[in-house]
Amino acid sequence: MPKFEFNNIKIAGISTVVPKQVIKTESYKSIFGEEEVAKFMQMTGITETRRTSEFQTASDMGYTAAERLIQEKGIDKNEIGALVFGTTSPDYRRPGSSFIVHKRLKLPIECAVMDLNLGCSSFVYGIQVIASMMQNSDINKALLILGDTAGKTTYSKDKASIMLIGECSVAILLEKDSQAKPIKAQLKSDGSGYRYLIVPGGGYRNLHANTEPEIYHDGVERTLHHSVMQGTSVFTFTISDVPRLIKDFWADTQTTVDDYDCFAFHQANGLILQQIAKKLKFPSDKMPLTLSKFGNTSGASAVLTLCDRYGNEDIGEIKVLCCGFGVGLSWGVFSMYINTKDILPIIEDDTIFEEGIIRSASEL
Amino acid sequence: MKERVLEIVSEIRPDIDFESAHNLIDDGHLDSFDIVSIISELNDEYNITIRVTELKPENFNSVDAMIELVTRLQAK
Repeated sequence: MPKFEFNNIKIAGISTVVPKQVIKTESYKSIFGEEEVAKFMQMTGITETRRTSEFQTASDMGYTAAERLIQEKGIDKNEIGALVFGTTSPDYRRPGSSFIVHKRLKLPIECAVMDLNLGCSSFVYGIQVIASMMQNSDINKALLILGDTAGKTTYSKDKASIMLIGECSVAILLEKDSQAKPIKAQLKSDGSGYRYLIVPGGGYRNLHANTEPEIYHDGVERTLHHSVMQGTSVFTFTISDVPRLIKDFWADTQTTVDDYDCFAFHQANGLILQQIAKKLKFPSDKMPLTLSKFGNTSGASAVLTLCDRYGNEDIGEIKVLCCGFGVGLSWGVFSMYINTKDILPIIEDDTIFEEGIIRSASEL
Repeated sequence: MKERVLEIVSEIRPDIDFESAHNLIDDGHLDSFDIVSIISELNDEYNITIRVTELKPENFNSVDAMIELVTRLQAK
């Protein structure tokens, strides 16, 4: 199993941006019926989510989150040597969204930039990718941006998914520091589950897939250009494989549940987190939840949850166990230290990169 | 075991007569939320781990099928 350890890199700051539009879960009662919506709310814990507007993207929110972090931390942009953007909701098929953010932040050309096509595990993977780049280079500061706008590829009649998905982006600043406490991680993948969470059409396998709605195996109408989730398979994978990975990680790092101040887990849904917490005996006050306010916000959700929990607090350094799991299938865990004064409170922003909306050839 | 499994599934879906139902999945009586709730409860109650490979209709179509699955996993 891939195991990582970094002893000279610290998480120097995190920030979160959510869109202003609030969607109340109860508002779906007129579409899906009172009983269905009540059952959904009980199982997932989601009472409202945030959604972007038509042309607003994950890179818009990611840019704002990064700019704010840079300003708050007083960072010279010329010192940022790498920018990685983890998303399954890029602005374009090409180029990657990292390049849009690179331009908007006015980062130097002496900066390594790339996208990472991952969803709910992008935080765990992204940290290992960017820290590995830093460890093997002269890069002293780097940015990881994560965000998804999965609501845009969710069919309006897909009741389980449309009520589940929230949208946001986050930025994480990493810095080389010889005094840094270790970041340790383990990563896993299982491509045999590639169909469990998939948008089947619109990629290069089937670029011009049928856009007509069809009834799927679960009785729900969608088109091939919309997201399909085999919820039972994803749930079953999560509650069996994630606790197993955490136990392996604890054994490997010679730590236990008592060694962590906070468990920042991907906010998949209430039932999944409840099951994981029960299996691993997490004290409930150490596992913050943001599902009720923000829903499932993909790979950004653990950072959003840290910003929600500690964004206005100054209690010093905390040791956090972070975990992500989802599309791929992909899952991983890592431990990190962060000072709560480096955790910025969540802000709302709907700014759009107007130049990026290309409506006709004449605009290029 | 049958009595306890019946109790578990009836708590999740009190509107279904599980004693007589034999095509719970094939006939669409249980939705995905019901199945994940049943899996969670069976995992906890019998200290087993139901994995994705066990997610077949024949393992959840009836209470007898669920008992068979639990017994098989306990023996592993």
